[in-house]
Amino acid sequence: MSEIKTTSLYDFHLSKKAKMIDFAGWSMPFSYDGTLKEHNYVRNNAGYFDVSHMGRLRLNYSQIEDINYLICSDLKNISNTKALYSIFTSESGTAIDDVIFWKFEDDLILICNASNTNKIKTHLDINSIDYEDLTLITDLIAVQGKNAIDIVSDIMSVPDKFSTAKDGKYIYARTGYTGEDGVEVMVDNKETLKFINDLESRGVQPCGLGSRDTLRLEASLPLYGFELTDDITPVEAGLKWTITNNDDYLGKESIDEQLNSKQHKHLKKFNLNAKQIARTGTICTSDGVEGVVTSGNISPVLGYPIGFVLFKSNPPDDLVEFDIRGNLIEGKLLYKRFLS
Amino acid sequence: MSETKYLETHEWYIVSGESFTTGISDYAQGELGDIVFVTLPEVGQEFNKGDAIVEVEATKTVAEAYAPMNCVITEVNSTLETEPELINNDPVGEGWMVKAEIKEMDDSGMSYQQYELFIS
Repeated sequence: MSEIKTTSLYDFHLSKKAKMIDFAGWSMPFSYDGTLKEHNYVRNNAGYFDVSHMGRLRLNYSQIEDINYLICSDLKNISNTKALYSIFTSESGTAIDDVIFWKFEDDLILICNASNTNKIKTHLDINSIDYEDLTLITDLIAVQGKNAIDIVSDIMSVPDKFSTAKDGKYIYARTGYTGEDGVEVMVDNKETLKFINDLESRGVQPCGLGSRDTLRLEASLPLYGFELTDDITPVEAGLKWTITNNDDYLGKESIDEQLNSKQHKHLKKFNLNAKQIARTGTICTSDGVEGVVTSGNISPVLGYPIGFVLFKSNPPDDLVEFDIRGNLIEGKLLYKRFLS
Repeated sequence: MSETKYLETHEWYIVSGESFTTGISDYAQGELGDIVFVTLPEVGQEFNKGDAIVEVEATKTVAEAYAPMNCVITEVNSTLETEPELINNDPVGEGWMVKAEIKEMDDSGMSYQQYELFIS
């Protein structure tokens, strides 16, 4: 095992008395004031997250055709100031990683999950795609929340949704992972603390990975390692909307076959009218079709347990019975987002 | 009133005559994170030492609180049904979970000093 990595804000987190956890080889803040409070900072005002553990690679625009061959979305034909959520697919169509691209006129920034940075770098190497690893020389700060855009507009010029921008100090995009509007900002290590101070002086609260998880779950967003794995395709994970690549791409054949046959695993959302949370690994059945919970927690806004469940095949019924520590608890599948 | 004692499973209890009051320790609530649901037993339910009497769902994980001795539940803190955060805010006070009549006295829990050493 290599030594645990820290972001440039490590001492700052400790000074804030953050509860630190080991996450994907990094020591990261789990919470500062408590997960529910931080969840509500974002839903009601604004919070910032140190997500500098995520991989950040600069790619050459000249290789965009080759990059486009490795993902299920159309990166090539979107305009040069767009941010794109996509999935690197394997030959069998399964997810190597889910990532964000920031597209600029002269280059591309690829943001990948911390747990997959090495895997993605190897994948790029094998496919002769050059990259410059910016992970350790920059930080990535996500500013998210109902009032995030208003606040950040004081500090930088905020682009349209799913669009990118850069100025002398910041490279950023109006994207997020909480269901709220916001920006994700890449900044040189030496400038990060000043940026954090600028945010804090405007009332933006620090938030940890605990609330990032409850926020993304409540926003119906998948997390790699749970909803998406090396064994799950975008079709199975309910991410058909990401399949916009009309050219040939790695895994296309398998994905097209799943789209046509509909014979595949199905990821569904569920809620429970209970005081038990169906957590990762909980087994359930729906009219004989077996499933396993990939993520589950309370929805702080709704006040009841929610989650994602992966079924072996398409469940014929909306009612699901979860085996929570030996008690059978009935839940319901949902066909819209948790928060409308 | 005797002193508040602690178990290795992170409950506290305090014996008063033929009864005791129990809940989870400050350390335990801190480890669990925000507590969002509490499932309490019924008054009159009997438990043996070590039986799970309360189930606590938190944002981080789920945990059970175990009976410190053989007992019959006489009162539950039903405020926790609507305000489970009381366990986070005041675990050894307002966040108490149940009161029970002692069927077989077992006051073998650790003192606070011993418990502090145990968790450190």
